[in-house]
Amino acid sequence: MATASQTNTPLVEMIDIEKHFGGVRAVNGVSLDLFPGEVVGVLGHNGAGKSCLMRILSGAMIPNEGRIKVGGEDKTIHTPHDARDCGIETIYQSLALADHLDAPANLFLGRELKTRFGNLDEKRMMEEAAKVLHRLNPNFKNLSDPVSSLSGGQRQVIAIARAIYFNVKILIMDEPTAALGPSETAMVGELIRHLSSEGIGILLVSHDMHDVFELCDRIMVMNKGHMVGAHPIDEVSKDDVLSLIIKGGLPDGWTPRNKQLN
Amino acid sequence: MAHIEKAQVGALRFNISAGTFHKFSALLTLVILVVVFSFGNAAFLSVNNGLTILLQTSVIGLLGIGMTMVIITGGIDLSVGSVLALSGTVTGMMVKSGLPVVPAMLLGVLTGAACGLFNGFVITKMRITPFVATLGMMLIARGFALQLTGAAPISRLGDAFGVLGNGALFRIVEQGNNGFPRVVFPGIPYPAILLVVVAVIAAYLLNRRQIGRHIYAVGSNEEAARLAGVEVHRTKLIAYSLSGALAGLSGIVLMSRLITAQPNEGVMYELDAIAAAVIGGASLMGGVGSISGTMIGGFIIGVLRNGLNMGGVSSFIQQIVIGFVVIGAVYIDQIRNRR
Repeated sequence: MATASQTNTPLVEMIDIEKHFGGVRAVNGVSLDLFPGEVVGVLGHNGAGKSCLMRILSGAMIPNEGRIKVGGEDKTIHTPHDARDCGIETIYQSLALADHLDAPANLFLGRELKTRFGNLDEKRMMEEAAKVLHRLNPNFKNLSDPVSSLSGGQRQVIAIARAIYFNVKILIMDEPTAALGPSETAMVGELIRHLSSEGIGILLVSHDMHDVFELCDRIMVMNKGHMVGAHPIDEVSKDDVLSLIIKGGLPDGWTPRNKQLN
Repeated sequence: MAHIEKAQVGALRFNISAGTFHKFSALLTLVILVVVFSFGNAAFLSVNNGLTILLQTSVIGLLGIGMTMVIITGGIDLSVGSVLALSGTVTGMMVKSGLPVVPAMLLGVLTGAACGLFNGFVITKMRITPFVATLGMMLIARGFALQLTGAAPISRLGDAFGVLGNGALFRIVEQGNNGFPRVVFPGIPYPAILLVVVAVIAAYLLNRRQIGRHIYAVGSNEEAARLAGVEVHRTKLIAYSLSGALAGLSGIVLMSRLITAQPNEGVMYELDAIAAAVIGGASLMGGVGSISGTMIGGFIIGVLRNGLNMGGVSSFIQQIVIGFVVIGAVYIDQIRNRR
């Protein structure tokens, strides 16, 4: 009973979020929820408002209206720091790495480990970084090189490691596989399944229909700042999703895929 | 397996040497300069002249340390020469009005820090580019210094005011046979000691403390630093305040050496400080730079000036030479980065 009621409380709820820039309504009264262990695809073409919505949840942008609840409690998320305090971590498409710093410095950026005297604890940061990076990629080397000299895959691993190292509850992934090769894409897919099996909720922003149908439990589609559809993945087909993305609505005469008669 | 490991070790060594390549080449330049000037003039390589160079470089060095922190954040501070003058004159006026020397000097450093804080405020809250913001402060601080003093130097500030700029540690003086004192060892000038102490503290802040890590991160990728929860504005405010405070400190050192508060002092010193940082490997794009590099850069400028002076080369030619050195240093840096 207790577990059931726990799973009934969403990890995070965004309620009636509004964000406008001058006269442009980038996000228009959008609500979104995410449950433990769930992978939700957030879809829409460029400029539909999905990135904006994700930036609001990660504290990089402050909404004009609306509330955010984390674990059923109202939270004020005005900075990336606030979001992290709520267990919300984000992997940005740009990866958001400081190129001149090495992997441990990037992993612990803004949350540096310190010694008793308040100095940077380089040794412990290096050890911890090696642990988490090697768990994601056993071949990871060059830990003390500036990350600008690393490959795209290695940089992605650092960005992921940074998000999962600190007790993450809600993970936002913005196009995590866009810049990756096939084997690295498979690694990210495996990681998403593993994290969701641990009860972490994942918001996956993606253009890749294959990834979406492979990984997501549910999709939410945005169009022109509105949420135009939220469906369990087995209700919809790829064509349905494309129709939502492009036209902002389902095809005429739509019935849920899993209830269709053969 | 064995040869793979060896290759990795080789790659590691190569990377380390690439990282310190610029500093090494700058250090080599400094050594070559010293050797060349020593051949040119026997008096160049003497204890006395070495201490003179130390003394002369201390002001550029102090300004360069603050400048390095600002440059690493991806900014620039054009106001340090004027802030130096304002802080020095404020200190001079306070001493003249009867305040003891030590509190007057602290007030001077605070004046510099306040100018730096204002720079940081204009840059972060008003979102004005560092170049324009500190250009404004360059005019404001100079104007204040001139207005407060009526553009006239404040002299006769007393012996105590001159100790910081003219005193020395371990000075050995003995009574000569003719009754006059004879200087056995001129001692290590206080400004040089101050420079070493400040450089060590600054290097510690940059390399061992969170604020240093954040200064590098902000200069490397400001947006990434912000998204990682780094307080970008606070980091920049601290960097500019430190630069201002060090400009104030060097102003006091300079005015103390002259035992006169000169509102016209320090013109174009900001360019020497920038040159020292850049010769030492700092990148104006941000994210790169070090205190040790800037110290080497400062001494390259100091040795060049001193050596060329002793060789009777005019100060105009000196400017031309230093100009080429700056361009050469940045060129070497670019070759390194292209590799």
